[in-house]
Amino acid sequence: MIQIKELEKYYKTEEVQTIALNKLSFEVKEGEFVAIMGPSGCGKSTLLNILGLLDDPDGGSFKFNGEEVAGYNERKRAQLRKHNVGFVFQSFNLIDELTVFENVELPLIYTGVKPAERKKRVEEVLEKMQIMHRRNHFPQQLSGGQQQRVAVARAVVNNPKLILADEPTGNLDSVNGNEVMDLLIDLNEAGTTIIMVTHSEHDAKYSHRIIRMLDGQKVTENILV
Amino acid sequence: MFKNYIKIAFRNLLKNKVFTLLNIFGLTIAFCVAILLAIGAYDTLGKDQFHKQKENLYQVYTTVQSLKGPQVGQSMPAPFAPTLKKEVQSVSKITRHYEDNLLATYNEKTLQMDVSYVDAPFLEMFTFPVFKGEKNPLHKIKTVAITKKAAKLLLDTEDVIGKTIVLDIAGTAKPFVIASVLEDSVSANSLNFQLLVNFENSPNYKRNIDRWNASYHSVFLQLVNNTSLSQFEESTRAFTKKNYSGDDERLERDGVAKDANGQYRQLRLTPFVDRTFTTYKNGIIEADRTMPYLVLAIALLILFIASVNFINMTVAKSAKRLQEIGMRKTLGASRKQIFIQLWLESVFIFSISILLGTLLGNALLNDFQTLFRTAGTFATLVKPNIILGVLLVLVSITLIAGGYPSYLLSKLGTLTALKGKMDVSSGTRLRNSLIVIQFGIAILLISGTIVLNNQIDFLRQKDLGFNKDNVVSIPFNGKLDSKTVLRRLRSQLQNQPEIISITAADNNLGRGKDGSGYTSVSGFDYEGRSISTHSLTVGYDYVETLGMEMVAGRNFSRDRASDSLSMVINETLAKEYGKENPLEISISFDNGVRYNVIGVVKDYNFRNLKENVEPLTMYLNNNSDYLYAFVKVDAKNAIAAFDKIEAAWKSINPDATFLGTFLDENIDRTLRREKIMTTIITSGSIVAIILSCIGLFAISLLMVNQRTKEIGVRKIVGASVFGLASLLVKDFLKLVALAFLIATPIAWYMSFQWLQDYPYRISLNLGLFFLAGCIAVCIAMVTISFKTLQAALQNPVDSLRSE
Repeated sequence: MIQIKELEKYYKTEEVQTIALNKLSFEVKEGEFVAIMGPSGCGKSTLLNILGLLDDPDGGSFKFNGEEVAGYNERKRAQLRKHNVGFVFQSFNLIDELTVFENVELPLIYTGVKPAERKKRVEEVLEKMQIMHRRNHFPQQLSGGQQQRVAVARAVVNNPKLILADEPTGNLDSVNGNEVMDLLIDLNEAGTTIIMVTHSEHDAKYSHRIIRMLDGQKVTENILV
Repeated sequence: MFKNYIKIAFRNLLKNKVFTLLNIFGLTIAFCVAILLAIGAYDTLGKDQFHKQKENLYQVYTTVQSLKGPQVGQSMPAPFAPTLKKEVQSVSKITRHYEDNLLATYNEKTLQMDVSYVDAPFLEMFTFPVFKGEKNPLHKIKTVAITKKAAKLLLDTEDVIGKTIVLDIAGTAKPFVIASVLEDSVSANSLNFQLLVNFENSPNYKRNIDRWNASYHSVFLQLVNNTSLSQFEESTRAFTKKNYSGDDERLERDGVAKDANGQYRQLRLTPFVDRTFTTYKNGIIEADRTMPYLVLAIALLILFIASVNFINMTVAKSAKRLQEIGMRKTLGASRKQIFIQLWLESVFIFSISILLGTLLGNALLNDFQTLFRTAGTFATLVKPNIILGVLLVLVSITLIAGGYPSYLLSKLGTLTALKGKMDVSSGTRLRNSLIVIQFGIAILLISGTIVLNNQIDFLRQKDLGFNKDNVVSIPFNGKLDSKTVLRRLRSQLQNQPEIISITAADNNLGRGKDGSGYTSVSGFDYEGRSISTHSLTVGYDYVETLGMEMVAGRNFSRDRASDSLSMVINETLAKEYGKENPLEISISFDNGVRYNVIGVVKDYNFRNLKENVEPLTMYLNNNSDYLYAFVKVDAKNAIAAFDKIEAAWKSINPDATFLGTFLDENIDRTLRREKIMTTIITSGSIVAIILSCIGLFAISLLMVNQRTKEIGVRKIVGASVFGLASLLVKDFLKLVALAFLIATPIAWYMSFQWLQDYPYRISLNLGLFFLAGCIAVCIAMVTISFKTLQAALQNPVDSLRSE
């Protein structure tokens, strides 16, 4: 599903150039659950942004579903992104002014789904995430675990092929963290590809494969299953 | 989708209560003021526009060459209009027009009424629809038209056709039959009358019917379609040559230069719709609509300032919304969708503000009408082109005010937005530029306020050459003749301790409650030169009562019978005669009667302060009526004296309204235009300053919030409260100082130009503008200090924690 080859990304300031990704190559197959680990500053988040079509690489090749997407402009990336990728962030990134229902509904609005269909799908996914009873609450009225469940619900409501999770349990206690990980496993078992960036060895063990990075390069790759 | 936009817009506004309130408050004030000012301006601009024939209606005036350059004359003699109609083909219809205020009586009821003497074509030329009765009653001499309102006032009903009323014309009671009732005219009408009477009934008509040298009324005409003004002017040259040949010979003898067309006198036309905006320049009447446009400009400036606040606050707080925008983009929102969402928020705020502004404006309309002397209402603005214009302006303002921040936010990359980072430098530059413009406008308006107030004070306090403080002027408006009233007034009041002296004249000083004021200019030959002088008929004690000063000779005296053939002239006229001893001047008039100059009075402003003192001759004419009584009162008991005068007046003249006023009020009334202008500019500058401060306050609030951590760290390393406060304040003060530097030359130039219209004026000095700058700086300081001091006084740990 994802093929990256010699992927490069630099950050430049007036005086310094920092290499975030240094000729990084790997593949992720459809239905896989891959964890990416490494110390702070190793390029994990940069990689995730590029894989999520939020950012553009400076060099190398990036094929998404066989289509070369490196060099795509923001408009093209946005089109591809909204139909194929769901995001789960460490800080949830829910919109404070919208209720649980409205937050989850948002991706469907942007992909042009009709209101009746939207309602059905949002309710389904809220049921699945066991957060239906909170549908009219605002994010700040929920616990961290509940907020992350809403974020996961929002990520999956469009049935994306790929879910990118950036430290999904980073802001949660262990009980809530495990619940979120179970949700991700369920999604993966239902066929969704998941790439997760994490610092937690515990969370990484839920995945099929762990890619470890250092200084923008792949250091090791462990297959767990 | 749309519902979602509205919902989030509403919730966002609720979340940022302070900013929403500041924005709505500021915009509501701005819209309220702008709507009211626009009502005032459009009411003025719409004057006389309702006449269906307005494109072809004109007022006639003449440009006469003189030694002082071309002069404008708008008064015409009685035979002028009928002769012009007969001799000039391009004149389709013509009417004479003379306004008067008469006592009208029906049964037992007598009222003072505004009367216009006009010719029969008047109602065919002007659009004053007939409500009841004959289409044109002016074809007959003894029938009149009355307005609905006036009919109700005088006859207590609108059903008045065929009823007879009595008008007191120059002391003679004359009966008239009401043949038509006219619809009440709209507010934008400059021809204010309650009764229309055939011109042949006007005072002294029979005496003046063939006199070309007694000009006393205006003339309006309608041109034949497709006649150009130059065609008209050309076609009237034979007419002027024929009918004014005597005058032309005199001008030629005096060595007056002819105009470019070889004429001493040129008839010209000014569009009727321009008549309330006229100014004279080189013998030509021009329309000057600066005042209403200035008012509109102030309205737009105020809207601009409020919009700037909106832009600045939206840009400044946009950083807080970056993550939301980023998340929306991550989830697939397009730039267009983000733009529309943010734009709708501004439309939402603007719509609420317009609604509130309109309601507030409606509540303040009556006060506004009184203060600005306008009759405009919301209906004034309900015209397709104005509504379309307002909608266009609104869409533009919301697109700029709401659209610019939306554009800034929507063009950010998804990742940049999601990280909540934004390069604020371009936003800051824009914000700073807008603050400079905002304060520039405020300083401009404050300077205007200061200059206007100083000039008006200067004019008010100027020595006018007469005592304006303790003299009451009263128009003679009753049935009794003025001489009788004056005699009785003297006998009733002369022994009262509060009354010092009593006199009368045929002209007022300043503008009284009756609102009238005219001048009578006569010309004659003296030792081979033409002399032109204003004439004034006065009673005994005129010079004393008005506290004037004699510079040569003496005033009229009761002890000398010969004084009825004497003249007292002013210094300016004495100079025109050019005699070393003006008391030797003796003039023989057309009727062979010889008058001698017995005294020279020091120049005084007998017309208005916008004109230089002109030549004046005073007569003690026993045959002529007085129009105003003047009573000098004791300064210590002025109020009691005024009451006594009123009581005496009412006992002498029970049917006439007492319209007495102190002369200083009359002088103030002549400054009405300036006072309205001052009120508008002062209110404009107050609103501008309030709005600019709201903006500045909001920005300082945000800036302090953004720098909370910096403030905490600085305090920890030892910064003082004063040091911190000045750190925060200084950036803003720099902007205000820059605004001062830009606005001052503009303010100076505009003030200078405005003052050129006044022969008596203040001299501009930098101090005036510096004062305006200081006011702006002080207000800005107070506004910013409020939040910055609070931040500087905060416990540093709190500052760091809040970060």
